[in-house]
Amino acid sequence: MSVVLSVRDVVKTFGDVRAVDGISFTVQRGTITGLLGRNGAGKTTTIRMITGVFFPHAGSIEWLGSERDARDRIGYLPEERGLYRQMKVKEHLLFLAEIKGRRGSDVVQSAERWLKRFELWDKRDAKVEELSKGNQQKVQLIGTLLHDPDLIILDEPQSGLDPVNMLLVRNLLRELKEEGRTILLSTHMMAEAERMADDIILVHKGKVVLSGAIDAVRDSFGKNTLHIDYEGDGAFLEQLPQVKRAMIVNNAAELSLVEGADPQGILEATIGRLRIRRFELAAPSLEEIFIEQVGAETMESIR
Amino acid sequence: MNKMFAVIKREYLQAVRKKMFIFMTIFFPVLMAALFIVPGLMVAKGLGGKKVAVIDGTGKLQSAFAHHLEPAVPDPKKALSGGNRGQLPQSIDVEYRDAHDQANLDAAKKPYLDRLYVDRKSTIGLDAVLVIPANAFEGSDARLTFYGRSSTDPFTQERLASVTNRAIQRQRLTGRGIDSSDVDTLTREVPLDSVQLSRSGQQKKGGEANLIIGFIFAALLIIPSFIYGLETMRGIVQEKSERIVEVLISSMSPRELLTGKILGVAAVGLTQVAVWLTLIAAVGTFFATTAMMAGFDISQFLRPMVFVYFALFFILGYLTFVCIYAIAGAACNTDKEAQQLVAPIQMVMMLPWFIMFAIITNPDSTLSVALSMMPVYGPITMFVRTLVSEPPVWHVLVSIAVSLATICVFFYATAKIFRVGILSYGKRPTIPELWRWMKVA
Repeated sequence: MSVVLSVRDVVKTFGDVRAVDGISFTVQRGTITGLLGRNGAGKTTTIRMITGVFFPHAGSIEWLGSERDARDRIGYLPEERGLYRQMKVKEHLLFLAEIKGRRGSDVVQSAERWLKRFELWDKRDAKVEELSKGNQQKVQLIGTLLHDPDLIILDEPQSGLDPVNMLLVRNLLRELKEEGRTILLSTHMMAEAERMADDIILVHKGKVVLSGAIDAVRDSFGKNTLHIDYEGDGAFLEQLPQVKRAMIVNNAAELSLVEGADPQGILEATIGRLRIRRFELAAPSLEEIFIEQVGAETMESIR
Repeated sequence: MNKMFAVIKREYLQAVRKKMFIFMTIFFPVLMAALFIVPGLMVAKGLGGKKVAVIDGTGKLQSAFAHHLEPAVPDPKKALSGGNRGQLPQSIDVEYRDAHDQANLDAAKKPYLDRLYVDRKSTIGLDAVLVIPANAFEGSDARLTFYGRSSTDPFTQERLASVTNRAIQRQRLTGRGIDSSDVDTLTREVPLDSVQLSRSGQQKKGGEANLIIGFIFAALLIIPSFIYGLETMRGIVQEKSERIVEVLISSMSPRELLTGKILGVAAVGLTQVAVWLTLIAAVGTFFATTAMMAGFDISQFLRPMVFVYFALFFILGYLTFVCIYAIAGAACNTDKEAQQLVAPIQMVMMLPWFIMFAIITNPDSTLSVALSMMPVYGPITMFVRTLVSEPPVWHVLVSIAVSLATICVFFYATAKIFRVGILSYGKRPTIPELWRWMKVA
């Protein structure tokens, strides 16, 4: 696999605040890389340095494998919407391609192909503001693809979307990946990243706290997490001596076990109190790992 | 370069397709003309039919007020162009009351004054009461008194004062044994025409037409700058609030973006001016003949140089204003904040408009000359000067040079503030903060 983008020790300060404090990572061609962290962790600042909006105070951002102008290699989808409401859909798409240096009949055909594929053909002459939020998101996404970018950067692509549209975006990302495109996905939704990403970069307070291939990251934390689905009142699970930390939501518990604890003891404790539907020892979820890394008190404010 | 062109194209097409542009281009000149000319005509037309009671303490002026006072000048246009408001076409119904046998005029006028409060449409309603004291002929301190519901009726006042005075003078003269037919000849007034001489020796008969045309052109020059300036500001605020700017800035440099935007907006302004000048030229030539018959010599304003100057000073003023609004847009996150930031600046920018009267009436005064060579104020003041007077060529050149320099400086500052401000989503910066942004960027 070849590296598309290499970010090395970048620093960005705003006044006294070190928003990004020596972040390094690489993005491999044909993968989805998840840039994870809380709001304010430094994700957007990092992205803005990559897109050339900010200059880093230190460190380097290197584009590899092409002589194209770095700005034209990026397809950037900002958080929420980044479209002119008054413009017509197709016209807007052509404008987005043009500011990336692409125009002419190739782009027009490509835009038309995408519009048909995303079932927006009927809406090509509608104003952006007349479209539903999900459709606007689709238009925005086409806009990031038309100029054939080397790297698609998506900042919180699912924020503010309903479950149906979230699913839509998720499927789109999968399709794009299957086409061999490279995606940098910034999000604070751990579950989403877990579903989508090949590699993750976990950022906290401007620093990378964890990075690597997602499976490797999870395996490195061992199988010390117990997933239990049940019927009954499971509040007592949190109090068990083997449990270090618990997340209990709607008859499903995710328990982090203390070192060396035997899950069998927990199963025994549930007998007669809960009706067990699932009992699984697994690697921790990204959310668990995140808590492990940045502290539980931080997690409270995320949820 | 191509990216900048994409921005210019987008800005231009989006703007000219808006209803606002069509409205401004087609209806605005008509509206402006209507705004200045119609009130004049309405004043003229609406003056008719005043009901006035005259309480004559001398008892000798009945003949002067015996009949309905017909308009002195029947044609309103002629009256306006003559510049003599006293001659406006106004008819007055006089109710004459001989009060020379009344010891107390106050008692005599009382019932009439009460009638001022009655609805003027009823038969006993009155618009005004004129009281002529008993000593009007002899007393050196005698004064006529005019009672009205509103004190702002100078036309009726002037008219009554002049009628009364003429009648008194007449009787004084006939009292000295002068034949009444001679009195008319002796007291005949000579009307005044104002003629303006330009350096080229051209004669202009302006009067109030000068003022009206000056205001119309000044409005055409300045108002679009404010409107499109505001549009530009809103556009930038919208780009910020909807994060479009991040997409733009990830594709081109802020300077390319700003240059594209301003050139796009400038193209919109030029299109508008081109349409206006064509309209004015077409309509102007058509109406010039009609207008001239009414006493307006419009053709004197339709010199080719006026068109050149208009286009030139329009674009200079326009770009200056657009830069100022672009700064406000880049600095703020909401329309409301931006409006608050520009409101005081706008007042300062409007200065020439507020003193337009002084500039038009004294186009070569120190004030006018100074303003015409100042940044921001230069374009509009200089244009008005070229319209109503003929300033020396070097004045015009200095003004153009100052404006160009101003635009360059503003553009430079805007580009710097734009660089910082366009991505800041915090609270609205103060002016010192803006200054700091300019230095750090």
